Amino acid sequence: MGKKILSFVIVLMAVVLVTTVSAKDKVYINGIDANFPPFAYVDKNGVPDGFDVKSVDWIAEKMGFKVTHKPMDWDGIIPSLKTRKIDLIASGMSVTDKRKQEVNFTIPYWVISQVLVVPKDSTLTVDQVLSKGNKVGVQRGTTEAKWMKENLIQKGKNFNLREYDSAPLAVEDVVNGRIVAAAMDDAPAKDAMRKKPVKILGTFGMHEENFAYAVRKEDAELLKMLNEGLEKLMADPYWEELKATYKP
Amino acid sequence: MPGVGDHVVDMTESFIAIRDALPYLLHGSMVTIGLVCGAMLLGLALGIVLAVGHVYGGQVIRSVVGVYVWFFRGVPLLVLLFLFYFGLFSFLNINLSAFTVAALVLGLISAAYQSQIFRGAILSLPEGQFKAARALGMSDRKSICYIILPQALRLSIPAWSNEYSIVLKDSAVAYALGVMEMMARAHFVASRTYEHFPLYFTAGVMFLILTYLGTRGLGFLEKKVRIPGYAR
Repeated sequence: MGKKILSFVIVLMAVVLVTTVSAKDKVYINGIDANFPPFAYVDKNGVPDGFDVKSVDWIAEKMGFKVTHKPMDWDGIIPSLKTRKIDLIASGMSVTDKRKQEVNFTIPYWVISQVLVVPKDSTLTVDQVLSKGNKVGVQRGTTEAKWMKENLIQKGKNFNLREYDSAPLAVEDVVNGRIVAAAMDDAPAKDAMRKKPVKILGTFGMHEENFAYAVRKEDAELLKMLNEGLEKLMADPYWEELKATYKP
Repeated sequence: MPGVGDHVVDMTESFIAIRDALPYLLHGSMVTIGLVCGAMLLGLALGIVLAVGHVYGGQVIRSVVGVYVWFFRGVPLLVLLFLFYFGLFSFLNINLSAFTVAALVLGLISAAYQSQIFRGAILSLPEGQFKAARALGMSDRKSICYIILPQALRLSIPAWSNEYSIVLKDSAVAYALGVMEMMARAHFVASRTYEHFPLYFTAGVMFLILTYLGTRGLGFLEKKVRIPGYAR
């Protein structure tokens, strides 16, 4: 019976397919987490913008390829890359050993540290935040979420991790008072500080990480282009301009 | 809670955020409408076939329909979306857009529900209708297409408009695949501006308006196509 259903579904999909397959012109698609200002977000007009978006645009122009940016959910971004929905990820992705098994990374372009964000008038210290069964927010699927589970909670620190869809939502709950702090990368934390009554409390013991672009294992050519482009970009005055504009 | 009140009262910023985001969200409502129309039409076409199969089909067809309905009513939408988008289509090496997959999955699920709506409507018709049509020399196919379905579909409109509002609301889940519908856009703007509440509120109001317009339109259609003097 299962086979019948399957063949039925496949026939149906084939019908849809005929009408939807698009022409294969070579435009690389960059998947971004548009909930990650200042590295990647959508501007007022809905156009992808941000430090990483503008960097990739510059590289594409210099290296002579076309690129579009596709906002998507962070949870599904690596599966999307592997299943060819997108061709690269330039969206503040930290290089980790686990991810290296799945994708290839370019040279690092940014060093990031993880911090705790608390309400502006909070008097807690980092140690106090991570104790007494306090609730601490973090974005699901991030390196900091994984690190906190493995290195703090499993080693006996008494606090609860609350996982959110995006870092800004965790900050929102810090402001609402549902959680005492949110753990996140320092760049979006600075962005949050400019927009919400919160402050950066400090680091919580996690090592610094490198941001790099990710591509599929087999896309050696794209990797080479991105590496060359990144080197050129970081040597160009435009790099300083980007830093001044987006303040990552 | 200290420090909470002084931020919430700043309404002007919220209004500015909503005003700025409105064109972007309205564009998203077009995507939502496209998603819902695609899903409802697929659900309609497939739902009718399934319902007719369920009522008039033989043992095999009936159980096929049964399994179909059981499957698509039993698995959560989000699971199906991921299953189709990252699983099935990738496995078959078919690269469909997130929008197409979302419309397809919503449509396949809706077909399961719609088939039950139509089935109920068909069964609610007096049995004599079909027999009379056959007695007049109409074939099975003709009897179903020209006698049974026109009546059954009319009867289905109220339940169908209910299904419409369910599909409309479910379509928001498509944002998990990166479909740029209303909810996804509200989420993105909120992340940039940190105006979460005003933006989700706006998205909610827009969904309400779409629900209202759709159900009103279908109510109008129901009156328009009602058979005069036909009591139900």
